[in-house]
Amino acid sequence: MKGKSLFIEYDWFNGDIPNNIIFGKHVYIDTSYSFAFFLSQQNPGLILGDCAGVYLRTTFVVGPEGYVSVGSYTCLNGAYLISNECIKIGSHCLLAWGSVITDTFLDLNSSVESRRAALKGASLNPNRLLSPVSRPFPVKLEDNVWVGFESVILPGVTLGQGCVIGCKTVISEDIPPYAVVVGDPSRIVRYLEPDDTEAARQRALKEYIGG
Amino acid sequence: MRAQRFYPIIAGTQIPNDWHKGKIPSNIEVGENSVIDSSFCFERYFANSDVGLRIGNNVTLWRASLSVEENGYIEIGHFCYICNASIVCSRRITIGSYVWIAGGVTITDSDFHPIDPAARLADTIAISPIGNRKSRPAIETGPVYIEDDVWVGYNATILKGVRIGSGAVIAPGAIVINNVPQGAYVAGNPARLVKGIRI
Repeated sequence: MKGKSLFIEYDWFNGDIPNNIIFGKHVYIDTSYSFAFFLSQQNPGLILGDCAGVYLRTTFVVGPEGYVSVGSYTCLNGAYLISNECIKIGSHCLLAWGSVITDTFLDLNSSVESRRAALKGASLNPNRLLSPVSRPFPVKLEDNVWVGFESVILPGVTLGQGCVIGCKTVISEDIPPYAVVVGDPSRIVRYLEPDDTEAARQRALKEYIGG
Repeated sequence: MRAQRFYPIIAGTQIPNDWHKGKIPSNIEVGENSVIDSSFCFERYFANSDVGLRIGNNVTLWRASLSVEENGYIEIGHFCYICNASIVCSRRITIGSYVWIAGGVTITDSDFHPIDPAARLADTIAISPIGNRKSRPAIETGPVYIEDDVWVGYNATILKGVRIGSGAVIAPGAIVINNVPQGAYVAGNPARLVKGIRI
């Protein structure tokens, strides 16, 4: 399923959808602009599950070694996914605008020299690819996670099933399932009822499709 | 014809195959091997001085927005890498060399509007569709200096009058309202010193 015409009737951006992507059924993509910096050389470099939606300025900044998987019914509504190793996002997740999920950031022990070397290297690369200054750590979002707008999920983090990350929250540690987390520095303010059972999912699939 | 990822920044020219039908402003000075993805970067560039923007050598601008008011001036050193950040300049924003600015970052040298209620009300009229933008009430500005080797994390905000010392790292999501010492690591809202890092 290569090419944008399958998904995008009128694309304002004159770009391609890379061919190392596996699409589930009924995937929706607003624009190929989302993939303008998708440089993964993995196969696949990206999996979009059934009925996943890639809306607005959702952006995949994925390096040659990067890999992203997105579960079914997950809604990427203007999120930034930055991968040089692995980001796994479960099913039924909501990622709001300006949220950043990254498996790569700066190691605080990295020297200024190594930072300079990375920037010099990028300026010599035709794609201006910036090599990671520190090693990436995989990020995982379990099912039914909700990430509020302009939040940042840092490398190595696992967000437990059903948890909610409030807007503009910065997450640098694992979050347990069904926790509600807000603020910077972040804190857990409550836990939700774990009522998102498979039975509830099946009921919702019957009730909320079509119409 | 597919767009390339990056094109040289050449003053006064159009970028080939640019999705945004704009031009690179003519009153800018750019060094060698500095590149950009789209002229959309300059959608809010209104500087009318001889040079409203100076960019050094080997700079990468990717989905960044350089908004400059009529009297504003932005200076960017060498080997900087600026992702989809908004740099909004009323007077002066100076960025050194080897500075990395991540996606979602905002850097501004003013609060855009006056804080005093009467002046702020007047500002809404001046900037309205029938208003006179030339006679807006005075807005407080404070130049922003970002020294060499600073790395600014995703979605961080740097507000007016701030100087960030060389080698400092701004944590993702931090809101910086005070000066940051050399080599410091700051995080949170408002950004506070977390720990010193090796330079």
